[in-house]
Amino acid sequence: MNTAVIAAPAPRKPAKPLSTWEFWGRALVVPYLLVFVVFVVYPVGYGLWLARDPQSYVKLFDDPIFFRTAINTLVFLVVAINLKMVIALFLSGFFLNTRWWIKVLSVLFILPWAVPSIPTILSVRFMLNPEWGVINSTIFRLTGLDGPNWLNDPTLAFSFSMLMHVWKSLPFWTLILLAGRMAIPSEQYEAASVDGASAWQKFRFITWPSMRGLYLTSTLLSMIWTLGDFNSVYLLTGGGPADLTHVLATLGIRYLRLDQIELAMASIVVTLPLVLPLVYFMMKRLSK
Amino acid sequence: MATLSFRDIQKAYGKFKVIHGIGFDISDGEFVVLVGPSGCGKSTLLRMLAGLEEITGGEILIDGKVVNDLESKDRDIAMVFQSYALYPHMTVRENMAFSLRLRRAATKTTDERVANAARILNLAELLDRYPRELSGGQRQRVAMGRAIVRDPKVFLFDEPLSNLDAKLRVAMRAEIKALHQRLKTTTVYVTHDQIEAMTMADRIVVMHDGIIEQIGTPLELFDRPANLFVAQFIGSPAMNVFPGTVRDGTIEGLGTRWPAASIRAAEGQVVHYGIRPGDLELANDGVPAKVVVVEPTGAETELLVQVGEAQLIVVLHGRTQAQPDDTVHLAVDPAKAHVFDGRDGQRLG
Amino acid sequence: MSRAFSLKKVSVEARLLLVGIPVLLWTLIPVYHLFLFAISERDTATSGRLWPKNATLQNFDTVFQQQHFYLNHFWVQLGNSLMIAIAVGVITLFIATTAAFAISRLKVKGGRTVMNLALFTYFIPAAFLAVPMYKTMANYGLLNNRWSLVLAMVTIASPYCIWVLKQASDKLPWELDEAARIDGATPLQLFRLVYLPLMVPSLVAVGTYALLLAWNEYLYGFLLLSNETHLTLAVALGNFLAADDSPWELLMATGFIYALPPAAIYYAFKRYMVSGLTAGAVKT
Repeated sequence: MNTAVIAAPAPRKPAKPLSTWEFWGRALVVPYLLVFVVFVVYPVGYGLWLARDPQSYVKLFDDPIFFRTAINTLVFLVVAINLKMVIALFLSGFFLNTRWWIKVLSVLFILPWAVPSIPTILSVRFMLNPEWGVINSTIFRLTGLDGPNWLNDPTLAFSFSMLMHVWKSLPFWTLILLAGRMAIPSEQYEAASVDGASAWQKFRFITWPSMRGLYLTSTLLSMIWTLGDFNSVYLLTGGGPADLTHVLATLGIRYLRLDQIELAMASIVVTLPLVLPLVYFMMKRLSK
Repeated sequence: MATLSFRDIQKAYGKFKVIHGIGFDISDGEFVVLVGPSGCGKSTLLRMLAGLEEITGGEILIDGKVVNDLESKDRDIAMVFQSYALYPHMTVRENMAFSLRLRRAATKTTDERVANAARILNLAELLDRYPRELSGGQRQRVAMGRAIVRDPKVFLFDEPLSNLDAKLRVAMRAEIKALHQRLKTTTVYVTHDQIEAMTMADRIVVMHDGIIEQIGTPLELFDRPANLFVAQFIGSPAMNVFPGTVRDGTIEGLGTRWPAASIRAAEGQVVHYGIRPGDLELANDGVPAKVVVVEPTGAETELLVQVGEAQLIVVLHGRTQAQPDDTVHLAVDPAKAHVFDGRDGQRLG
Repeated sequence: MSRAFSLKKVSVEARLLLVGIPVLLWTLIPVYHLFLFAISERDTATSGRLWPKNATLQNFDTVFQQQHFYLNHFWVQLGNSLMIAIAVGVITLFIATTAAFAISRLKVKGGRTVMNLALFTYFIPAAFLAVPMYKTMANYGLLNNRWSLVLAMVTIASPYCIWVLKQASDKLPWELDEAARIDGATPLQLFRLVYLPLMVPSLVAVGTYALLLAWNEYLYGFLLLSNETHLTLAVALGNFLAADDSPWELLMATGFIYALPPAAIYYAFKRYMVSGLTAGAVKT
């Protein structure tokens, strides 16, 4: 008989009881984890489950409104963000100036960001009223002509949505880029002055190389946030006229109110190939 | 009673081993200094004693009790950190009283102990100030006060003087030593400065790359270093060391002969010869040397001399007439010479 | 004494003003328009003047007295906005502080993962999460319950708050925790007596951020709340748009009232808000 000698398994080291530090470490993340599981994991999972039917996507792509919305969103992203970031870059240089009135201006400048968007967007909406809004009234008074029906023209209405978005978010990005500019040592500019550099050359060879990374990260982050800007479109145009000014953020809600929840979720899932890489990239940059 | 024992202590971070089996004992009331270059493991050893680092292998005993699994707060120790670690949002008084407050000690006891510590350390007027309002030396004293109030079995110091300027360091050294003489608490003190070790310690533990090079009283380490590392680490200016060969009961090195007392080495063996700067004298005959630099420091004179291809440092009491480029003669007392094995640096004579 | 009246100086100043004045106008016009309507009488509001013929505070009075169909529940709705904002601020603060403490100071295992999960949530546009959140709250039976809005906003605000607090926590010197441990502190004592007092500025910034986020929120309130007495002021304002002949001047007056607290808070805590939040927002 072949008796193979099997070594007895090494006795397991008794598991060390959790030190009180380890215990509380885990206990104190529980509140957040609870919130995360109940209000993020479940909704996301449920949403993805709702979007599982391939038919939804067929219906979605058949819907001309969806196609229009996708274009709108793309235009919104490209135009609004670049406009905003370029202006922010320019203004960040402007606000570096230490004149007293510029400092006062910088304090007022934060107002759009500080104030909630509902009243201000509604305020602009009324300014755009074709009959009694301030803009058309002024045009009439100056030229005797009737101003356009701003919100009834999809292009004009959409442009104003973008303008509202820029108005609201410009201060935030200007501040971010301003912080980036302030990190550049002034000696570099002084040396450049001595070397005879013009303002444009200073920007090109000193400012921009230092700011490039921040500008890029800001643009990407802004893309993610702009995708989620519901208010600027909904409160100004409601998605109209004739559902022509929707963006993805408002489209989902439109489907929801039409009780077509699968389409709503599908419209969101469709954006994931764009959103997820952006998110991944941003996370890599920030969790360093 | 507070004795300490380290038994075969090992420490590894993952696969990377930093302490390779350290063992020694500390008697009650002793002031022991762990000294060594950066990275030798002295702070790690101290932190294991404090309970701030896991002990990978071996045991630490306080008063005969193994403390490996005890929380810091249950080991009855107090620690003074290099950066003082004072709570910035509390006054000096609150900083010192903190540990007692955590234990919900009676207000009367707390007040008494704080007042006592403040008196010992001259902090009475500063009790209501905040750490940011204090100087470096004052903060250091508050850190010590915080430790004293605990009335622990052991004091631990982790390079407490490194952040102070030179003059303040000298003053604080004396204060810490005086404190120890007064309180007689067992103390483990970590530093990279061998002068601090020499002036303050009852015994010194010289560490290097995770092992103990030598343990002994300051004078033992100075007079009879067990190996080349200790010889060159202890003493300032550092010991002059150069290679030589054993010839006929003397050492042949730098192109000349050097005396040595009984050497346990074979003829022709390669060795390291060491002689402290203070043990070289100028005489009428001896090893010829050319003076390179003369540095009078008032009470002493430091000479940099050239012998063969090496430059040696000589420290003389008082003044000298020697000038750069002069030739002088160095007399060496064989009893003061140190001979170390050429391969492993161990003491030979 | 002669004033150096160089042409160069004038042109520099002129160029700056050329930027400054448009920026000022651009920034203030919507806000000023809001204010203008709020203090105008019904008929003259739409006249297109720069300052109303008879500037009046009557509109505010009407609002406060709830003397209009759309304003019937003004005070309740204002109260809802307030309560929800404060609840969100407090709960988010609690969740974010404990999580940041555990991750940063207690170095809990898996802390990095939790941090990454939080960051991930932060980057998903809230509007995308709205639809599933709506269905989720329906499934939980919380629709039209004010707590649904509170919990939804807490979910949205927490990630960023944890991130900011963790960054700030990491700056605290390690030795403080070690000294406290040696002094005999338990984890909770460390949290309460050492950590929290030192984190106060960040806590203020983060709590204010969460509070304002909830106060300013429209979409989620719009989805999750339906009963008029449960609405927040933001959603109620949106409802004004339903009819064509809504009292615009009352809407603007209400909007102005609604806009005051955030503006006031921002200006009061300007230092904390700007540095505390933008520091964590984008790292170069």
